[in-house]
Amino acid sequence: MMSTDLRSAMGEFKVHRVRFFDYMPSGIRALAFNQDTERMAVARMDGSVEVFHCSDRFFQEKIIPGREQCGIEGLSWVGERLFSAGLNGGITEYDLTNQKVKYTIDAYGGPIWTITGNQQGTHLAVGCEDGTVKLFEVNEDQIQFERNLDRQKSRIISLSWHPSGSKIAAGMMDMIQVFNVETGHSIHRMLADRGAGTSRSKECVVWSVVYLSDGTIITGDSVGMVKLWDDQTGTLIKSHNVTKCDVLALSVSQNEDSLVAGTSEGIVVQFQFVSMVLEKDDKEWVRTRTFRNHTHDIRAVAEITTAVVSGGMDAQLVVRPLLDKIEVRSAASALRKIHFPHRRLVSCARKSGLMLFQYPGHLELWRLGESEGKGTPGSSLFVKRNPEKLLQLKVKGEDHIRCSAVSPCGGWIVYSTASTLRLYRLHCDNNNISITKISKLPKVLSSANQLCFSSDSSHLFSASAQSSVHIASLSQSGCKFVGTLKPKSGSHQAIHLLAASEDGKWLASANSDHEVHIYNLQTQKAHCTVPVYSSAVTAMGIHPATNCLFMMHADQQMFEYSIEQKQYTDWSRTVQRKGLHRFWVERDTPCLNVMFNPQNPSHVILHDMYMLCIIDQSLPLPDDKTQFYNQLTLKSLTEEQRKSQSHAFKVCKTFKDILCVELMPDQSLVVVERPLEDIATQLPAPIKQKKFAT
Amino acid sequence: MSEIQIESSDDELPEEVAFDASKSAALKSVKDVLEAAKREKNSLKEKRKKRQQLFQEQKKRKRLPQELLEEFDKEPQKQTGPSDNKGIYKKVSKTKPSDNKDKTKTGTTAKKISKSLPDSYRVTRIKDESAAKSLQQKAVDFIQSRLYGPGTIRTTNAELLSLRKKRGVNQGAAVGFLNKKLGASQKARIARSNKRFIRQQKLIPL
Repeated sequence: MMSTDLRSAMGEFKVHRVRFFDYMPSGIRALAFNQDTERMAVARMDGSVEVFHCSDRFFQEKIIPGREQCGIEGLSWVGERLFSAGLNGGITEYDLTNQKVKYTIDAYGGPIWTITGNQQGTHLAVGCEDGTVKLFEVNEDQIQFERNLDRQKSRIISLSWHPSGSKIAAGMMDMIQVFNVETGHSIHRMLADRGAGTSRSKECVVWSVVYLSDGTIITGDSVGMVKLWDDQTGTLIKSHNVTKCDVLALSVSQNEDSLVAGTSEGIVVQFQFVSMVLEKDDKEWVRTRTFRNHTHDIRAVAEITTAVVSGGMDAQLVVRPLLDKIEVRSAASALRKIHFPHRRLVSCARKSGLMLFQYPGHLELWRLGESEGKGTPGSSLFVKRNPEKLLQLKVKGEDHIRCSAVSPCGGWIVYSTASTLRLYRLHCDNNNISITKISKLPKVLSSANQLCFSSDSSHLFSASAQSSVHIASLSQSGCKFVGTLKPKSGSHQAIHLLAASEDGKWLASANSDHEVHIYNLQTQKAHCTVPVYSSAVTAMGIHPATNCLFMMHADQQMFEYSIEQKQYTDWSRTVQRKGLHRFWVERDTPCLNVMFNPQNPSHVILHDMYMLCIIDQSLPLPDDKTQFYNQLTLKSLTEEQRKSQSHAFKVCKTFKDILCVELMPDQSLVVVERPLEDIATQLPAPIKQKKFAT
Repeated sequence: MSEIQIESSDDELPEEVAFDASKSAALKSVKDVLEAAKREKNSLKEKRKKRQQLFQEQKKRKRLPQELLEEFDKEPQKQTGPSDNKGIYKKVSKTKPSDNKDKTKTGTTAKKISKSLPDSYRVTRIKDESAAKSLQQKAVDFIQSRLYGPGTIRTTNAELLSLRKKRGVNQGAAVGFLNKKLGASQKARIARSNKRFIRQQKLIPL
């Protein structure tokens, strides 16, 4: 941990640079794109499933936490329902409204390797370890086992339905089989070549298979070949050698003219169905582009209308727009890499200098260190007392933590998994820490989507089902249920953000349907609803003095809404009228925290992954012609020139890979960084690539 | 007969064979046959006996040791005692001292029935050893061996990052030299073992 002195035109801050949050993202295992709702579902190695909104700057709308030993292998959308299957042998359906698992049924075929739904949305097919392809009928509220196709000798690794739903192609060990769904019998058996050299002794695994409507079957296998087969004759049409290691994932576009293949080396190769000679009709699959955006194995690719999305063991979701499909250069046409979750994993007890870090299986409580002396801006200060880890709290059970919080006074810690909620009382003298679990919790507090403490640490707000918020009072004697806040109308989607006002009168909640409700805590009734905006809320906070709700959205727009007057503030209207600067709107990571400075009421502090910004509402807004990142130039100017040149957005880019920024009462900033290089050193082993001159 | 018969030719007179010799030979042969039969019977008997013994031993081996059986015999008595009504409790308490008396009478001290199991026994929950879990483990092992096992050309993350640094825009040294956190645990372990070695070999005079 370092302490830095940061002085600029925006004021002087002592900064605690925290790098002891060892956050490790989990690798991506499967992707599933829903064409109608434009949502991308992502399954990770730790069993968690995330839903990204592709047209809202790929904001991570929903997160369903995983559990120990989950082993997800495949995801599939059936209409608006999401199903997954894994090595534990069960098929899981998710309740996307409440962001949790709806039910799991056992397929009784051993570990399941792949799951795929037919285009008609009536059936799900799963490929099992025992060599059977099982068909499940998708009913209103459940799925039901229908029948098995003919059992084969080796395991079924990948499946693909023919768009008509009458045939299904299965990729197995050393071969590909085409089944007639009606009869269940195998029509064709195509043998995959084991390749030359050392790979002759190992079986060739057909990792992925795609069935096109004209009868072409495209497979990617462990020898590194993308092969095209004809299903009428059952023979090989063409084979392309893409890589020397495995081709792990394939995906074809909606209109079947483009195919992407992901390999173990981290390369995505695109094939397009074009005619070699202009204006002639004989088209064939030709290898066109190569994308090198990953360093580790790519386990899943998906081609959406305008971009190629890929994810793998390096745990980043990469969205590569296909520039031939995009007409206008906008934020949507830039390469986008999503590293960190769009939720806060760090909470801070401001009054006692404690930080709570949320890991999937445990929580860590640290006390910040102290520095002494003053320094010049940008220098490191001497650390008098090192930060120390006070507590590690392990979760009981197999579920992962969904949300957690520490109270501002540092006396209470709460966390929630998908099934339980636990509250602890913390006593922290200078050297002694004691923690007691509050065993008698009100029954309504069973599981929460989001947790928040009131500013005086007297109440706990827990967001639960049907967009409602439970209030519980905290005292020496324990925790008592006080009431429930329900919105007047609107959706039942889960709440992902809560913000409490400093004076304890108001509470704001934002849910996945872009609805922001404000409640009056004294009457425990809904006060008003902010007009719905098309983009999701990524961060919000209530100003301590003016009680205005400041909201940041995924498309980088900001709004300020006055709670007492139930309307947008003048400043907010000015911002909307004038428009935000191009550089601000083109940032590709969302703001995750909004803070206020009690000593400077006109300041709003925001941060995203690569920058820290202080918005001074008393200064003029920049227009498109002014220099946006002007902090360095301002330093070189005189006082009067500075006054005329400065604008409201003061951006600091000193810190990289920021997970969280907090402002402490003593005017020091805490910046929690997680350098991507540190994450990269702990990932699984990558393939060795021979580079020239190394 | 073969012992007496010598090569006979047509010219010579028939040999003179003594009656006694031939009688004794005949008797001997009969005895031999009888003895052979007896021997066979005996050997069969032995075989049967051995097999029977083997079966007995196997049966004994299959059964739980004597102590455990005794413990099981005694257990129901002890268990029903406190859980039942007072009436029965009295009975048990009455029998208890008599039990002890009997034991002391016979002179053998009561065998100490140990509650702990002998060393070769292990207790595991069914939950921990379900077949499904082992199938899942096999599947995970399969994937692990195909992607990371023998036959794959893998390198370390440190090498990947170092190569990027070497070919990158701001060229620098390998990651292992710059990043102190890398391999910190291994470095600490090596430092500790070095210290231990120096102390053991007394290389540094105290």
